[in-house]
Amino acid sequence: MNEGETKNSPSALRQVVLGPWEAVGGKVGRGLKECCLSLAFLARVLVRFPIVLKNRELTLKQTISIGVSSLPLLVVTSIFTGAVATFQCAFQFRNFVPDKFIGTAACKMILIELGPVLTGLVLAGRVGSALAAEIGSMKEKEELDAMTVLDLDPVRYLALPRFAAFILMMPALTVISDLLAIFGGWLVAVLSLDMTTYTYTSGLQLYFQTKDLYSGMLKSFIFGIIICLMGYLSGANAGSGARGVGEAVMKAVVSACVLILIFDFVVALCFF
Amino acid sequence: MPGVKIDENDIMIELHGLRKAFGPQQVLRDVTLDIRRGETITIIGQSGGGKSVILKHMIGLLQPDGGEVRVDGQTISTPTFFDTKTIRQKMGMLFQNGALFDSMNAGENIAFALREHNREMSEETIQAEVTEKLEMIHLKPEFRWKMPSELSGGMRKRLALARAIALRPKILLYDEPTTGLDPVTSDVINDLIIDMQQKLGVTSVVVTHDMASAYKVSDRIAMLYEGRIIACGTVDEIRGTDNPYVKQFITGQRKLPTA
Repeated sequence: MNEGETKNSPSALRQVVLGPWEAVGGKVGRGLKECCLSLAFLARVLVRFPIVLKNRELTLKQTISIGVSSLPLLVVTSIFTGAVATFQCAFQFRNFVPDKFIGTAACKMILIELGPVLTGLVLAGRVGSALAAEIGSMKEKEELDAMTVLDLDPVRYLALPRFAAFILMMPALTVISDLLAIFGGWLVAVLSLDMTTYTYTSGLQLYFQTKDLYSGMLKSFIFGIIICLMGYLSGANAGSGARGVGEAVMKAVVSACVLILIFDFVVALCFF
Repeated sequence: MPGVKIDENDIMIELHGLRKAFGPQQVLRDVTLDIRRGETITIIGQSGGGKSVILKHMIGLLQPDGGEVRVDGQTISTPTFFDTKTIRQKMGMLFQNGALFDSMNAGENIAFALREHNREMSEETIQAEVTEKLEMIHLKPEFRWKMPSELSGGMRKRLALARAIALRPKILLYDEPTTGLDPVTSDVINDLIIDMQQKLGVTSVVVTHDMASAYKVSDRIAMLYEGRIIACGTVDEIRGTDNPYVKQFITGQRKLPTA
């Protein structure tokens, strides 16, 4: 068969016309299937939630690992985020609005968006990747099978403590991140923008609504669930070998980050 | 050679027409095998031939595409039915690489399942059980503080065996118990397999391609070839078989022996 015949054959034409649609359809189908599997897994975790206190030690260990150990990274990212947010507000609006509105803008930005989203992204990178690598490595070494064989439910002993730790620590870390970001903004305001502490803090209080804070907390709670689910499921479904674990880690971080941004928008739509 | 009395009609594990495929690869085509209560049976066969897959069906880690698995008179899995919860605590498994929980020390590896399944058990009793299990595998009680990463291959296997017997199972499954070990350490593991049968009265299923081990620990040997059990008999029967595939495997020849 020569090249011309190949190009014009029905199968080649079908490939040209339908190929991209089939590829897109396949990806959408796989995405939907993974969404269903994630929701089913979430249901399995929630069903076991009433027994979370039976394994207090495991939950406490995870709480320390997820929460306390993430603090140093969070301190650095939050202070600089707050600082740059305040600096940009001043740079963009200083000629048009009074100085105290710079504090107002920074505060709103930090509480509603920057605090929860950046905490979520930082934790997806630091803790979500570690979770996927740990569970993927356990799967590779047959530790998950060993648990099942010993009649120890991996969801109860591995997923549930981490889930509880995430939904407990994410809002807590977000509050800390908000405070540190506001502190970072104050440092820039006082040291670089020639604003007084009074101007900055009175700006923070101006137009403050409690829903600014609550929407951020709700977001962080949802982000905690997302990071935990994506990390655990990617690890539990990891392929074999170092490459399989590496791909699971990448998938955990990428899917958590994408979902964080999507759900950030969804919550924003619901609240504002 | 183990010397426990075995009733030929008292079947502990029954595999009937077991079939399993992974994608396009048909691993098990028609596996039928009866394992008697109290015996040690060894399944031999080429690497990648599906021996471990059979074990995973027995313990309920895999569901068959066809056929049936019965344990202790109870159907645990068919293509449309899967209920392994009731038999899990009757069975223990020694995984190929031990599959020890790396984040726990040796004692915790043994105690974890004990503690979770016997919430009313005191810590003293649990620690006494851990000591007993360590002694059964000829390790000192101080060994409990070691982390899995500090152990040699043989010690990891022994510790994994101690963990497998923690819940006093009736059936023990061994997945390649001597693979990767030197001949002396392999023999220690072989002796432990015989010990477990004689002291605990367990039914043992060993998957291996180490013929020295198979001859030493087995009451019967079954050969898996291209997804089917092509021979099953006592050690002497297998040694004297006319089946060319079994002969080729047990003598370790590259080519099929001519008649």
